[in-house]
Amino acid sequence: MSVLEISDLRMSFGSHQVLQGLNMVVPENSIFGFVGKNGAGKTTTMRIVVGLLKPDSGTVKVCGEEVVYGDTKTNRHIGFLPDVPEFYGYMRPMEYLKLCGEITGLPSKKIKERSEELLELVGLKDVNRRIGGFSRGMKQRLGIAQALLNEPKLLICDEPTSALDPIGRKQILDILASIKGRTTVVFSTHILADVERICDRIAVLDQGILVLSGTISEIQKQYQRNSFMIKFATADQAAEFSASEELQQLGVKVVQEENVLAITIEDHSLRGQVLIDLLAAKQITPEKFEVVEPTLESLFAEVVQ
Amino acid sequence: MDVFKEYWPILLPLIIAEVALMLAALRHVLKHRNYRFGTRAFWIPVVVFIQIIGPIAYFIFGRGED
Amino acid sequence: MSHFRVFFKKEMVEHIRTYKLLIMLVVFFIFGIMNPLTAKLTPELLEKFMPEGVLISLPEPSSIDSWAQFYKNITQMGLIVTVLVFSSVLSSELSKGTLINLLTKGLSRTAVIMGKFAAMLTIWTASLATAFVTTWGYTVFLFSDDYSANLFSSVFCLWLFGVFILAVLLCSSTLAASSYGALLLTGAAAVCLAILNIFPKAWKYNPLSLAGKNMELVTNSIMFSSLSYAIGVTVAAAIALLAAAVLIFKRKQL
Repeated sequence: MSVLEISDLRMSFGSHQVLQGLNMVVPENSIFGFVGKNGAGKTTTMRIVVGLLKPDSGTVKVCGEEVVYGDTKTNRHIGFLPDVPEFYGYMRPMEYLKLCGEITGLPSKKIKERSEELLELVGLKDVNRRIGGFSRGMKQRLGIAQALLNEPKLLICDEPTSALDPIGRKQILDILASIKGRTTVVFSTHILADVERICDRIAVLDQGILVLSGTISEIQKQYQRNSFMIKFATADQAAEFSASEELQQLGVKVVQEENVLAITIEDHSLRGQVLIDLLAAKQITPEKFEVVEPTLESLFAEVVQ
Repeated sequence: MDVFKEYWPILLPLIIAEVALMLAALRHVLKHRNYRFGTRAFWIPVVVFIQIIGPIAYFIFGRGED
Repeated sequence: MSHFRVFFKKEMVEHIRTYKLLIMLVVFFIFGIMNPLTAKLTPELLEKFMPEGVLISLPEPSSIDSWAQFYKNITQMGLIVTVLVFSSVLSSELSKGTLINLLTKGLSRTAVIMGKFAAMLTIWTASLATAFVTTWGYTVFLFSDDYSANLFSSVFCLWLFGVFILAVLLCSSTLAASSYGALLLTGAAAVCLAILNIFPKAWKYNPLSLAGKNMELVTNSIMFSSLSYAIGVTVAAAIALLAAAVLIFKRKQL
């Protein structure tokens, strides 16, 4: 079952069209990376999903129920972490979670249990001072705790890591990875390393539409290029192979770096086997022969112009 | 002093209220480093020497976030 | 617990911890003491500072002077302090975005407005009561006359006017982007009421009469019932303003 379904979502601010018919489906129990350049419409999409913005047209369904702007009932399934979560500076973490729990309508005993459990999860268990003195990273972690309080089916995080230092980033990613399987997580980011670290699915948003989506391995297979890396014994041998007529006839692009050749065969009907055959014919035993997987970085650069 | 002797039941609570307000504001000024407006060197004399108005002005305009 | 009660509780905690309740109570207590004291001491001080030989005959101060001070101070400084204290009640939450977390948890926007109003109302009532009881006690202590009448009905009028002003402030806060904008709109509303009072017939319906005719009640020169239209208009206006605040806030994009 899909937790979140977005169909033909359109939204514009003034004359600027932010979303131009966005379609997206998030299956259950995935960690879903929502990638795009700054200003691509990620925050807008998320705010529409939690009912804070009214789209011009299109529908959003959460767990099969349609989202209505304003007081939406679908929010009971959702935990939301805004890009910069703001709290009441005069409250302590436990008090804040109690307030959130009371709004959600949890019984007070449950609120207490759940709050303690969550503060432990986000590493704020022993921090019993007012939120006003918290660092960005601590606020972000408390933000995750408040978002998870109602045991949501779907956790939406808007750029949870972008404002943090490397340690803060790692803490947030570890927390998100640790709830995998219990909750579906959608998080937006422009940091691809974060996506590679924890996501199993990815969607790339560009100019208001989805330009790429699927599991990471699917996407990598789809964008597989005939790229290979061959390591030779010496640089001379590599240069000799690179210059050979037989290789040039295949129609290849070769980049040499010392004793390593990076070869891309432009003809898609040819496989890596031709290179191996060629090496065998020349009686060369390479030290290493590797099929090069496309990185997310290169993919991103390719789909987002 | 005559005035005070005659009217102490009314002047004493007034002075206590003013001093309490001043001390509450002074404590807040000293415990915090960020003000929405002004500096510590500005607020301490304002709070201490301008009775009633000083502390109120501090709490309404000067008090920063916790 | 209903959302209204949860949010009202949060508002009260906020007013206590951000010193708003303290300011209001202390200020109104100080006003409460100052009124009878000023009434009593002004003639004495005037005599003292008059040059030697000048004879002035000042009438002996009475409880009327004390209540005159009360209505002068509370309708001016008291209401100004109240409006200043509560001017950022909504705008600070909107500019910082502290409501986003709670609203996405399903907190109803009506509860936000009503909870805020109820908390302001509670503090205003407690502060006015503090000033009233203090002035009353010391007036009885200093002036043993019975010239003053209609004490409760006159302070009720002032209280109701304060409630109306708080409704104006809250409605302004849903319209304006900042606390200064809200203050400006509230001030503009007060000026409009004052302009309306230029027409002699308007006072009967003008909410401003509830903050202007108090001494006439105390001196028994008008009947409480003559203000009944103004009271009716004020109550209706306050309810309409609150309803407008809720409607505007529901449509506001955060």
